[in-house]
Amino acid sequence: MDSDEDDFVFYGTPIQREEELTSRKKKAIAESSGQLRTLPAWKQEVRDEEGRRRFHGAFTGGYSAGYYNTVGSKEGWAPQSFTSSRKNRAEVKQQNILNFLDEDEKAELEGRFLGTSSQFDTFGFTAAEIARKQAEKEQKQRPSIIPGPAPDELILPATESVGVKLLLKMGWSRGRSIKDSHAEALYDARRQARRAFLAFSSDDPEVEVTGAEPIKDDSEHFPERHVNDDIRSSKSTPVYVLNPKQDLYGLGFDPYKHAPEFREKKRSRLSSERGSGYGKSFSSRDSLFGLKSGKSAPGFGIGALEELDAEDEDVYATGYEFEDTYVQEVEEPSKLSLENRKKKDRKDQDNLPGFTIASNSDYQMERFEAPLIPKDFVPHHAFSGPLEINQTYNGVPPPDVPAPVDSNLKLLIEGVANLVARCGKLYEDLSREKNRSNPLFNFLSGGTGHDYYARKLWEAQQKFINQPKMHLDGKVPPGVQKLTAESRGQILGERPLERSSQDPSLSVASTDIQLQYNLTDTFTNSASFLPDAEKPFKEDPAKQERFEQFLKEKYKGGLRSTSSSLAGDMTEAARARERLDFEAAADAIEKGKQGKGNKLFIPSSMDFIPGGVMQFTTGAAEPKKDLHTEDLMGRKMYPKREEFQWRPSPLLCKRFDLIDPYMGKPPPAPRIRSKIDTLIFTSDSVKSNKVEEPVAAKQDSLHVQESANQDISKSISENETEGDVEVENIERPVDLYKAIFSDDSDDEGEELNLKKTDNQEKKAEVANTALSRLIAGDFLESLGKELGLEVPPDMPYPTQKSKNAVLHKEIINENARTDILDGENNSEMSPNHGMQNDQESGPSKVDTTHGNMLVSGGVKTKGTSISDSKLSKFNRENGENDMKIKSPVTRRRDYSSSSSSEEERKRKRSRHHRHGRRDAGSDSSSDDERDEHRSRSKGRRKGSSREKSSGSRKHSKHHKHRRHESPSRSIHYSMKKDNAHSRKEKRRRG
Amino acid sequence: MIESNGLVSPAYGIFWASPQKMGLLRVNPTRPSLKKRKEKQKAEVVSEGKRKMSVEDLPRKEANVLKGHDGAVLGVRFNGDGNYILSCGKDRTIRLWNPHRGIHIKTYKSHGREVRDVHVTPDNSKLCSCGGDRQVFYWDVATGRVIRKFRGHDGEVNAVKFNEYSSVVVSAGYDQSLRAWDCRSHSTEPIQIIDSFADSVMSVCLTKTEIIGGSVDGTVRTFDIRIGREVSDDFGQPVNCISMSNDGNCILAGCLDSTLRLLDRSTGELLQEYKGHSNKSYKLDCCLTNNDAHVTGGSEDGYMYFWDLVDASVVSRFRAHTSVVTSVSYHPKENCMVTASVDGSIKVWKT
Repeated sequence: MDSDEDDFVFYGTPIQREEELTSRKKKAIAESSGQLRTLPAWKQEVRDEEGRRRFHGAFTGGYSAGYYNTVGSKEGWAPQSFTSSRKNRAEVKQQNILNFLDEDEKAELEGRFLGTSSQFDTFGFTAAEIARKQAEKEQKQRPSIIPGPAPDELILPATESVGVKLLLKMGWSRGRSIKDSHAEALYDARRQARRAFLAFSSDDPEVEVTGAEPIKDDSEHFPERHVNDDIRSSKSTPVYVLNPKQDLYGLGFDPYKHAPEFREKKRSRLSSERGSGYGKSFSSRDSLFGLKSGKSAPGFGIGALEELDAEDEDVYATGYEFEDTYVQEVEEPSKLSLENRKKKDRKDQDNLPGFTIASNSDYQMERFEAPLIPKDFVPHHAFSGPLEINQTYNGVPPPDVPAPVDSNLKLLIEGVANLVARCGKLYEDLSREKNRSNPLFNFLSGGTGHDYYARKLWEAQQKFINQPKMHLDGKVPPGVQKLTAESRGQILGERPLERSSQDPSLSVASTDIQLQYNLTDTFTNSASFLPDAEKPFKEDPAKQERFEQFLKEKYKGGLRSTSSSLAGDMTEAARARERLDFEAAADAIEKGKQGKGNKLFIPSSMDFIPGGVMQFTTGAAEPKKDLHTEDLMGRKMYPKREEFQWRPSPLLCKRFDLIDPYMGKPPPAPRIRSKIDTLIFTSDSVKSNKVEEPVAAKQDSLHVQESANQDISKSISENETEGDVEVENIERPVDLYKAIFSDDSDDEGEELNLKKTDNQEKKAEVANTALSRLIAGDFLESLGKELGLEVPPDMPYPTQKSKNAVLHKEIINENARTDILDGENNSEMSPNHGMQNDQESGPSKVDTTHGNMLVSGGVKTKGTSISDSKLSKFNRENGENDMKIKSPVTRRRDYSSSSSSEEERKRKRSRHHRHGRRDAGSDSSSDDERDEHRSRSKGRRKGSSREKSSGSRKHSKHHKHRRHESPSRSIHYSMKKDNAHSRKEKRRRG
Repeated sequence: MIESNGLVSPAYGIFWASPQKMGLLRVNPTRPSLKKRKEKQKAEVVSEGKRKMSVEDLPRKEANVLKGHDGAVLGVRFNGDGNYILSCGKDRTIRLWNPHRGIHIKTYKSHGREVRDVHVTPDNSKLCSCGGDRQVFYWDVATGRVIRKFRGHDGEVNAVKFNEYSSVVVSAGYDQSLRAWDCRSHSTEPIQIIDSFADSVMSVCLTKTEIIGGSVDGTVRTFDIRIGREVSDDFGQPVNCISMSNDGNCILAGCLDSTLRLLDRSTGELLQEYKGHSNKSYKLDCCLTNNDAHVTGGSEDGYMYFWDLVDASVVSRFRAHTSVVTSVSYHPKENCMVTASVDGSIKVWKT
């Protein structure tokens, strides 16, 4: 069957075309010739003879494998020896985080873990420990004559300490005492000198002087020294045992400082407690380093900087074993005198032994002058009290009034009073303006509960006034300017709302009158605040009234009054419709005003409406523009500065090493939209269209003032609302989009082919899309019908009320339902048959679908004819909408039907609508249709993967194609684009 | 006043935006208005610059003529340290020269059409170029091979620049867009397309945080990546070439009404207009001297012009080439300038 080929699933990578291959090969050769010479080894890439790089996997080196693309490792290729899991099966592996880290990660972690490093194993302990363990292990393995663990003596540290290394470098050989070799003579000399010193207790500077001599008699002393070496070798073994801190005193604190006798007691007690085990461990050490002369007391009492005293000497000490007798021996001669000197030193200057205080220090404390305080600086901050309330209410407290019965109202009143007291009267004015029509806020303007409000306000103000007074003693320096909200607003260039002339809170009595006056004022004004030209509903005074009411509500914000709705007799749906109507009209009016840029015709009392709106909507752009206009007056037109939002892509930010200003914000809608804007039907475009269509229409109607036109525009907006009411799904435009564009079951079939596994999901989705398609179909249909005001007689007139329409709809619904079933069938079928099934189902249902198609086609032609004649404006919008809706479909068609004749294409284009709708019905009913289908699938196969990959790319691609395909259209398109662009700008500005 | 503040080193140029920004000049009722002071400062600063840099010091002596391009040379650019220049032209080649010794070093051939612009990274390791073949080429300077070609512009590419880190190439195209290409990844897609221009984008400048493009639609648009704003300055005349002042506060825009315009970037104010030359149909370059004391630009009649930055008077004017001076580039440090012309020659000018 020829349709089989539509259904192929492709696995693996397709075979490269010859030309690509050769070109790549050529390139590879060219590159490799240049590359090998220039690039360092680690940058070179290995390519096969065809110039392809081989990807080894993300974790195994990416494009380069092994050791510089050669072998497994630096050492070469090493086969991993096979170990049978049968033998060592139950090996429990201790898992560590390090097992799961890469090398670089480990390296990164290195700094965070505390660990020993053999590099800094100063005393060789760790190494010794390791060696000992090693020996133990070995010992287990081989039978030994000596049972038990190897004695410590037998094991030498594996690595030397730094000192040992240094000594080795200096010519010291292992096993000798340090003072050996050429120092031998020196030693002898010193010993002699010591003796002399002991005899005469004289100082020995000449010992140092003789130090240079001994080298010459080095050889003479050699045999003797050798003997000495043997004796002393044990002495030079490094022994340094840290005394663990076992008490709870602070470092270096000695509780027994002044009572050393107790220390001994304690130590003896401790050692007896420790028992034999502890002792033994030390006994071995004792045996090792046998000689223990001149032991000094451990940590207690001896600060690091203190000299050893006689009292610190301790025979029983187990701690500090500074038993380098040699060192002591050497220093002994000079020690006494040294100590004498040092003690003297310590008395007069308290510094480290061997250090003297520098006469001049490099380090000098940098001093900064204290900042100069201005002479007129008053060292206290004055908070400006609450605004002008103090004066107004200090005098006459309003009479205490019982609270209103309604507890809600009471709460509200109290809340507002507090707020007003805190924020000043401006807030009151504001809230009054805002809630003028809200009965709940009547108390603000003298309604029920006003007295109570006044009282509450007064109380709150008293509270607030008293508070700061307590702090500030009521004194505010006269020079300090209070920064009121107004002045701040002036500084910031804010335009305050027009303040009503009356000041209702000045006194209760006057407010009543003034408020009434004010109310009447607004109401009388409200009728006239819109000039004649801006009454969109002139012929229906009631509606006009409602509209004005709506306007007021809209601009004042706040709670919507529900009870004061003037149109009590209207149904909910009608009200909603009207509301949308109003919304559109208001927008149009506002736009018109902004466009003209004159606000002069608006009575000053209502100035806050446009002004306020502009302020609220345009925000920061407004003052700039004002500035700018000033500039324009003074200077020339140019340069003109404008600011827009612009979203840099995250990657760009990264590359510029900047923080994405939009980081964390929702995905870049504007960017994408601008790219595909005119091509697909995204949620935004739906909304914007919805908003703008009526706007344009209304504008039209406003300016032209044609009743007929108005009718039309009304009907349009009604249309819109109806669409809204009927199709709730429009809020979820993705579904709608899917419904319109998801190319029936063949698309799904493909998806199915690709995703066999989630059949279940698919089914649900199919049902879903079918449902939404149904709804969307209805929507489109009704739209078309509503557009076609004069429907040809051969068509069943499709208003909601007419039975014809109902019938008609039922037919469609049935179609759609069958389609759903069909879709479900498809989904249940084995994926390879999906398409086929569809193909079969097409003709089988020819009757119904055909009828359906006819109907929709009729609708469409109707629509276009109207568009030509009357609704040019609307239709441009709508047409664009249409185009947007249709374009992917048509493009797909066009894309596919490169083989089909021009005429056919034209026909297709004329049937745009039908296609869109036929998506709701079933696909493919006639022969040419099938041809097209085939060619399309052919086309798609080529780009199938890409199409799947991303929607946006798909569309852009299509878009490109289309552009090429028909220049006239592309011009059209660009026009549209311009249009859209300008609109976008408008939106941005507005 | 300024010197005492230690703000302006005497040799270097215009800092007139900064004193106010720094808050050094607080509102003082006895002082003249802000604007006047600004003018004054400008004058002072520049007179400062002039003292150091008189008209005599302008590079007006022809030091070398570099010949090699067949046909018009469309662009010439100093590299970062001013030791080399790169030129590109209608003969589809990019050439590397040593202008001081007047020798031709290397030719880069790969473009299929004329090469319109070229830019080199600060470390001199990479080039980017663009031209009539709608592609942006990313070159390795040493080997002379094309590392990558960025395709995507729907029209000729007019200008190209590296960013500070040489990680992004931003190209300006006839297709009304600026595109940013990633040099670090192997992606073939641009990482950003800016298509808010309404006409062909002729020139692009980059700062650390901004992308600035000048377009035939008359706008110079600054896209601040840091705050995500687009600032559009509409000159009302097609903008041919934009170039930043060395202090980064101003943009010199060459417009097709034979006028160069100096724009204050922070305020969007037009600071000065420079007239006298003719530039009505060709894409001509203009730039400021390295001390921001003068503005220089070529003319379609083959003359070179030097304007005083502040009073916009033509300080010097001489015949540099026999025909249109397409491009000019000023040495980053020395008093040296190279110009390129449709007559196929590149000339090195020194004092």
